Amino acid sequence: MKPAAVCYQRPDSVAEALELLAQDAEAKLMAGGQSLITLMNLRLARPSSVIDIGRLAELNRVFDDTDDLVLGALVTHRTVETDPLIAARAPLLADAARYIGHVAIRNRGTIGGSVAHADPAAEIPLATVVLGATFHVESVSGRRTVAAEEMFVSLYTNALAADEMVTWISIPAIKPGQGWGFVEFAHQHGDYGLAGAGCLLTVDPDGRIAAVRAGVLSMADRPLLFVADDAVGKMPSAQLWRTLADRWADACEPAVEDTDYARRLCRAALADALADAHRRVNAPGGGGHAD
Amino acid sequence: MLGGRGRFLADLAAGAAHVVFIRSSQAHATITGIDTTVAERMPGVHGVFGAADLGLDGAWIPALTTPDPDFSAATSLELAEQRLPILAVDRVHYVGQPIAVVVAGDRYVAEDAAESVVVSYETLPVLTDAATALDPDSPALFGHLPDNQAARLEYEFGSPDEAFETAAHVVEGTYRMERHGAVPLECRGVLADYDAGRGRVEVHTSTQVPHMVRNAICAVTDWDRQDVVVSVPDVGGGFGTKANVYGEEIVLAVLARHTEERVVWVEDRQEHLLASAQARDQLHRARLAVDAEGAILAWDVDFVVDIGAGSLWVAGIVANTAVHLMGPYRIPAMHVRGCAAMTNKTLVAQYRGAGRPEATFALERSLDAAAAVVGISGEEIRRRNLLGAGDLPYARPIPYRDGVPICFDGGDYLACLDSAVRTLPRSEVDVCAIENPDHHVGYGLSSYLEATGRGPHETARVRVLPSGQFEVTAGAASAGQGHETVFAQVAADALDVPLEQVRYRPCDTEQLPEGVGTFASRSAVLAGSAVHQACGELIALASQRAAQLLDAESVGYAGGRFAAAGTAVGWDELAAAGRVGGAGEGGAALDVSSVYRVPTVTWTMGVHAVILGVHRRTGIVKVLRYAVSHEGGREINPRIVEGQIVGGVAQGIGGALFEAWRYSPTGEPTSTTFAAYHLPLTTDVPPVLVNHHHVATPANPLGVRGAGESGTIAVYAAVAAAVDDALGGGHHVTTTPIGTADLCRALDKVAS
Repeated sequence: MKPAAVCYQRPDSVAEALELLAQDAEAKLMAGGQSLITLMNLRLARPSSVIDIGRLAELNRVFDDTDDLVLGALVTHRTVETDPLIAARAPLLADAARYIGHVAIRNRGTIGGSVAHADPAAEIPLATVVLGATFHVESVSGRRTVAAEEMFVSLYTNALAADEMVTWISIPAIKPGQGWGFVEFAHQHGDYGLAGAGCLLTVDPDGRIAAVRAGVLSMADRPLLFVADDAVGKMPSAQLWRTLADRWADACEPAVEDTDYARRLCRAALADALADAHRRVNAPGGGGHAD
Repeated sequence: MLGGRGRFLADLAAGAAHVVFIRSSQAHATITGIDTTVAERMPGVHGVFGAADLGLDGAWIPALTTPDPDFSAATSLELAEQRLPILAVDRVHYVGQPIAVVVAGDRYVAEDAAESVVVSYETLPVLTDAATALDPDSPALFGHLPDNQAARLEYEFGSPDEAFETAAHVVEGTYRMERHGAVPLECRGVLADYDAGRGRVEVHTSTQVPHMVRNAICAVTDWDRQDVVVSVPDVGGGFGTKANVYGEEIVLAVLARHTEERVVWVEDRQEHLLASAQARDQLHRARLAVDAEGAILAWDVDFVVDIGAGSLWVAGIVANTAVHLMGPYRIPAMHVRGCAAMTNKTLVAQYRGAGRPEATFALERSLDAAAAVVGISGEEIRRRNLLGAGDLPYARPIPYRDGVPICFDGGDYLACLDSAVRTLPRSEVDVCAIENPDHHVGYGLSSYLEATGRGPHETARVRVLPSGQFEVTAGAASAGQGHETVFAQVAADALDVPLEQVRYRPCDTEQLPEGVGTFASRSAVLAGSAVHQACGELIALASQRAAQLLDAESVGYAGGRFAAAGTAVGWDELAAAGRVGGAGEGGAALDVSSVYRVPTVTWTMGVHAVILGVHRRTGIVKVLRYAVSHEGGREINPRIVEGQIVGGVAQGIGGALFEAWRYSPTGEPTSTTFAAYHLPLTTDVPPVLVNHHHVATPANPLGVRGAGESGTIAVYAAVAAAVDDALGGGHHVTTTPIGTADLCRALDKVAS
């Protein structure tokens, strides 16, 4: 389990990293290395060159903007999990990070790395899709933004060109009237989720549903997003959550042997996440804060 | 160890060339060609060697043990002659089978070179299922054998047929335990060096059985025993998978002599999950007859073990399974048939329990099924059948594997049941249900009985150091069980000196040329007793020396002093006297090696109680409470015994809930990473409450019983019973690891 020979480079700036990336279509960026190094050790990934961006401190920062929380691509899962600002402004993201592997993995793994890896079982991609995040992407030829819904294309494949790098992630901060839920089921703590669901619920001051966004992991070749336009204007209820969970779970085509069990787990995760979201809207002190 | 000063195999690798094995990518195939030209030209590659290059063409790993003839006669034991190639030559039988080695300056280069070696195959039909393998129409996997049956045995006593006809209730079940195994923290590894000056090969290997490794190397190479020395460094766990002799160990020894190089092979985790010996993989078809009150009348089992492409321990596994089907119960009539099948899966060895967990699973599950039919609890049916103080010792009408008639030498097995249900009462279920509202909570029990301390013998050596302190070693190599502590304690007790006076030296075949090894819950019983005996002999020898020194007829010994007529000498003075110029100059060293022989096994019994939750919407199982009450002998070190039990429970939970080596229909292993092979984590194992019931055994001078495997044996059945209970009794777990999908679907029938 040793990687094949590889050229290792460690740029000192984002600009330098982008230069190196542009020069070699077979190069791979490495942040925490928690997925890439394993794949290289198994010789399933054989990049010609590894560009180690792990020490680019400029991307390891968090900004609190008016409507958005802006996270550098090198913010670690552990920071996402424990930072009080992130917990207050993007509690769904913070909660999702708890389910990523084990603490040692979360200490090194980064949100940008998770997005780049595009594992359909991963928590960060799901959370960004449910939250409607925007990715800031750079290359030597310029900058653009990619909506989370457009980012995850298929198994381990995202919408980035070979010379592009995710630098920042804007996440709409939670607002009054919103509640969130994130539920994941695995045989063991830290294991890949058999099923998982995130949900963001917005209700009007009169208690009627204004918007429901939910997503699931491990049910397709990418995180799946569901929006329930027909629920808008209805009163939240356990019955409604069950109906939505059934509908969405039935729409999944998980690539596993036992699809019946996968759908059962998906249904349970969705129903629980929806109920949690509703409970958090109603929680004392209003929505928008982790309990 | 905690300070990072442990010296494991990989810590010895400095200066050695690295060896990487080229392994079969096919489950069953004829090798039509091996092209190593690219690899041999790579910079940094020392060479590529196949069987013919090393004189190992057609060589196979020698048998490790021979079954006792009395046991074989009593059980009609038949064994096929297994020929497990050291390196495959023209045919491979499982994915991961070693074919050749690359030697290079470092592991990176060696792996690059190994990747460039092209082995051409013509694939052959693959057998991954024991039943198919035993079908007379299936082709024999090995040319020298007529079929795929590796072993078979049968025994019967009482009148089981009659009992089944007249019994009030008969329950039937098919119980399956998936293939899983030890997976120690440290994988395998071998370092071999050729000492040209002394003309011998020095082998360091991460093993539980250095003497068996030495014997196998000598048998294959025809070297004399002084031409090779096998030493054991610190070992990070064995649990049976390292109580085996591997082709890799023999190859490294031969390679060192052939190349006159220092060579090291450090197995990586993927290789370990592919090619280290696996275990369990049994299917039991069981029938249990009970009377209207639940008393056992007859027990009938037909079991099959899938040993993959071979097992040096097949006789032990089949025999262990057959013997331990008797359990700690009054069973008046039994009929057992067992056999082992060869398939195209990885080799099999013993794994903690080695047949006992499988047998216990079938028996305890059948008891639970019978309890349900009779309408009594799991506790009650065990209470009505367990052997109590009035029944024990309890003779059985067949011999043990050593040929000695079986006699359970316990004190009171019912007391263990009482103690377990007292420590973890069923009422605790209500507390757990409140704490875990997302879970259906259930309670389960399982007994086990284990023959421990299998002989026939073990060796120990104790010698006096120049300072008058002591060095002790034993043929049972430590794999992390704390032999350093335990054997030093035994020696300190026997010598009546403070513990600090005794050092433990890891085992090697030079300082202790004879030895058996660490397995079968035998180290404390056999090696411990050998240490005790050697210390006694050392005192006797030293007493003669002291008498000469004190000019006395005889001396008395106490507290490290030899006394006669108002004068006394200590070990330090005796050691000093032996030096050149001392009063005892020229005398032989104070150094004793002793062989201890045990008449037969001694039995350890216990009851496990568990409370667990089945998640209401997913079927995922969470173990909440665990208690073990076991009847053992004298505890040399209670903390180490407790550690053995707790670790055993953890491994049992792994096997009950998570662990499985799975294979595709074409024999491709699909569990070769920890993402696919799931070990139990700290988050899966609750605190384990352990009660030790001390029942001395006269079977050995220390009064100890084995406890190494005890912790694992009953876990599977206890967890299964608790899952059934959590689901309200409408479900009967028959397979481990327990399928959460099945539980999830079964939940549809459970009122929430």
